[in-house]
Amino acid sequence: MTLVLASDLADEIRRHAEATYPEEAAGLLLGTVEDGDRRRITQVITLANRWEPGARHHRYRLEPRDLIAAEDRAEQEGLMILGIFHSHPDHPAQPSAFDLDQALPFYTYLIVRVDSGAAVENLAWRLAEDRSRFDRETLDLLTDNRGEP
Amino acid sequence: MSTVRIPTPLRPYTDGHKEIECAGASVSAALQDLTARFPALAPHLFNGDGHLRPYVNVFVNDQDIRSLQGEATALAADDRVMIVPSIAGGRGGSPLRPVDHAALRTNQAVIIGLLMAAYIADAPVVVAAVGLLMLIGAARMRPAFGWFYSWLRRPGWLKPDVVSDNPEPHRFAQLLGGVFLGLSELGFAVGWSGAGWILAALVALLAAVNLFAGVCVGCAIYYWLARLHVPGFSKSPPPGALPGRRPAA
Repeated sequence: MTLVLASDLADEIRRHAEATYPEEAAGLLLGTVEDGDRRRITQVITLANRWEPGARHHRYRLEPRDLIAAEDRAEQEGLMILGIFHSHPDHPAQPSAFDLDQALPFYTYLIVRVDSGAAVENLAWRLAEDRSRFDRETLDLLTDNRGEP
Repeated sequence: MSTVRIPTPLRPYTDGHKEIECAGASVSAALQDLTARFPALAPHLFNGDGHLRPYVNVFVNDQDIRSLQGEATALAADDRVMIVPSIAGGRGGSPLRPVDHAALRTNQAVIIGLLMAAYIADAPVVVAAVGLLMLIGAARMRPAFGWFYSWLRRPGWLKPDVVSDNPEPHRFAQLLGGVFLGLSELGFAVGWSGAGWILAALVALLAAVNLFAGVCVGCAIYYWLARLHVPGFSKSPPPGALPGRRPAA
C-alpha cells in the first residue's frame, strides 16, 4: 500500500490546511491505482468543513453533494476518489478514535499535522478490514510536479 | 427499474459495479433488491434492525431522501438513486475544560450581596469597586471574587462543583457585568443616579437568575453571537446543554 503524491499537490494540501488553521481542513484525493496497490494522486479537491461552527477545530465533515460532484468529475476524467485528507491542528497526524469510528473502507486517509499554523507532517492511513485499527500506508512524496508517470 | 449508484468504497461488495439496475417502487424496495443480490453490502448499509445506518446518505435525483419521505420515497422508472457515505472525522478529544461552577456561584452571591449593600448604604463607590473587580477578573480569566471562594473552601465550607464546560462564555458574562457597572458608575458621575442604580440592579438581577435559576444570560448571549459567526465567539454549548445552562457533570 503506497500513496504517491507529487510536490505541487502536497503543497496544495499544505496551503489549504494552513489557511484553515485553527480549524480542521479537509478534501479529496483523486487518482489512479497502479500495480502493487500504488495509488497515484493526480488531483486534489479542497472542500469546506461542514461540521457545525464552534467545533471545527477538532471535527470535520464533508457535504455529501460535494462528494457526488467529485465522483462525477473523477469519472469524467477517468479517475477515482482514492482518499480523503484532513488536518489535525496542534495534534499528531495519527488517526483519532473518532477518525476510526467514522472511517470507511478502501479510502486512504491522509492526515496533516498543523502546529501553530504551519503544516509539519503528513501521514497516510487505511482502515483495516475488521475496522479494528488504521494501518500505515507508505507515503511516496515526489519532488517533481503532478503525479504523472 | 431504477439505477442505484454505488460509491467507490462499497464497490468491492458489488463485484466492482458502479451502477446497478434495481427493481422496486420505493427506495427501501430498491435497496432490498440490491442487498438480496449483493448480500455482503447489507451490513454496510443497514444496522441490526434493518434501518439505514446514520452515515449512509441516499439521494434520489440529487435530493436527500431525508428531505423527501425517507426510505419510503417512491421511485419512478428512470430515477437515479445514489448511495453517498458521510465523510467525517477529526482529531477528537473533548474541547471542553474543567470549570468550577461552585466558584462561579460564590462569585454571583458576592456580587449580589455587595450591590444590595451598596444600594442600602447609598454608596456608588462600592458599585464602582465591584465593576472594577469584575473587569479585572475577566481580564485574568477568573471570577472576580475567586479569592473569597478559595478562602471559604479552605475550612471545607464549600465543595468544588467541577464540570466540563467552556470557560469563555462565563468570562464574557463577567465582562458584560463589569461593563454595565462601569456604565452605572458613569450615570452616578453625571448625576443620573436613578439610571446608575437601574444598571446596577440589572447586573444583580442577572447574577441572581444565574445563581438561583441556573441560567447564565451572558453565556447565552455569547453562544448566540457564536451562532451569528461574530469574530471572537467560537464555542458551541457543551453537548446536551441549552445555551447558558449548566452542562451535566
